[in-house]
Amino acid sequence: MDKPVGDIGMEKEQTVTSLALLASFLRLGASSFGGGMAGWTHREIVERRAWLTDEEFLKTLTVAQIMPGANPVNLAVYIGLKLRGIAGACIALFGMVLPAFAVILVMSVTYQQLRSHPEAQAVLRGLACVGIASSLTMGIKTARRLNAHALPILIALSVFLMVGVLHWSLVAVVAATIPVSVAATFWIEREKSRG
Amino acid sequence: MVDDKLLGLVLLCIPLSLVSFGGGQTIVASLQHQTVDVLQLLSGPQFTDLYAISRAAPGPGTLIVALIGWEVSGLWGAILATLAIFIPSSVLLCILGSYWQRHRRSAWAMAAEKGLAPVAVGLIFAGVFTVAQSARFTPLELATSLGAGAVLLTTKTGAYPVLAVVGVGYFLLSLAGMA
Repeated sequence: MDKPVGDIGMEKEQTVTSLALLASFLRLGASSFGGGMAGWTHREIVERRAWLTDEEFLKTLTVAQIMPGANPVNLAVYIGLKLRGIAGACIALFGMVLPAFAVILVMSVTYQQLRSHPEAQAVLRGLACVGIASSLTMGIKTARRLNAHALPILIALSVFLMVGVLHWSLVAVVAATIPVSVAATFWIEREKSRG
Repeated sequence: MVDDKLLGLVLLCIPLSLVSFGGGQTIVASLQHQTVDVLQLLSGPQFTDLYAISRAAPGPGTLIVALIGWEVSGLWGAILATLAIFIPSSVLLCILGSYWQRHRRSAWAMAAEKGLAPVAVGLIFAGVFTVAQSARFTPLELATSLGAGAVLLTTKTGAYPVLAVVGVGYFLLSLAGMA
């Protein structure tokens, strides 16, 4: 399981130890307040530790964003995999999730203690409003980047209807619409490049 | 240690992990519908509370499943739900990642990158719609959501200052007996 670093084809001066990997990702996991994680990860892995070059990091980032899963966690897992194989991926996942998980546990306990208080209920209602607003904003920002073409808009709309209104199985809807959406995008891009 | 409720949650999380493109926001619609209406692990207001907490918490939004797990069966629930949401996608990444990296310049791979976006947009809006519907907002809360959305969309303000302002605001309103 513990492949030597040299196997990946990089000639690194230092070997990446499990402990150093764990320390880096715990540090990153603990700083995952409020996003911007790609930037933080770049600073830690490329600039501070010099474990990956800029180019390697960028390739890793693309893969992390395209695959399912939370992007910062994917980025960590894939970097861990490249540096130390399966063991590295596990260490990175553990380090990245543990700090946020610990905070979530504290919040769970606090919630159980306070939920019967009307003030706590009011604050939670307020936070839910902002949470929904921030998801809505994310949806609008992503929608703006869609191809200005009827097909992607139609696909987004039908996914919304099937999952949000009709409550069809999300997994089945995604499995069925992604091939359609990718084929449509392929066709639109080809038409575009033909002018 | 693992009762039927927790097993139901874990079996819900594993497939969702594999379609959680971009993170938690794309699977919220299904999490809400399944945990409240189908499996009946939580009440509607309870889910809205957990959603609010998860959006204010650090780390990926997918960690809402840890909150649900905790509600369902304590520490083990939180741990197993977290593993169920992160491990399947991580395994898939480890298997397919390097393949994807080698072929990412091909026309199909580029189409796949752009082609996920319309599906993700539909899922995000479905999540917003589902949570907003079950939260049954009062006019004040609706106005708060729209106001917060306008601030987030038009300014560079991050979510945390808005969360802090609204949280304190609602606390004061509740002390004054108005919310």
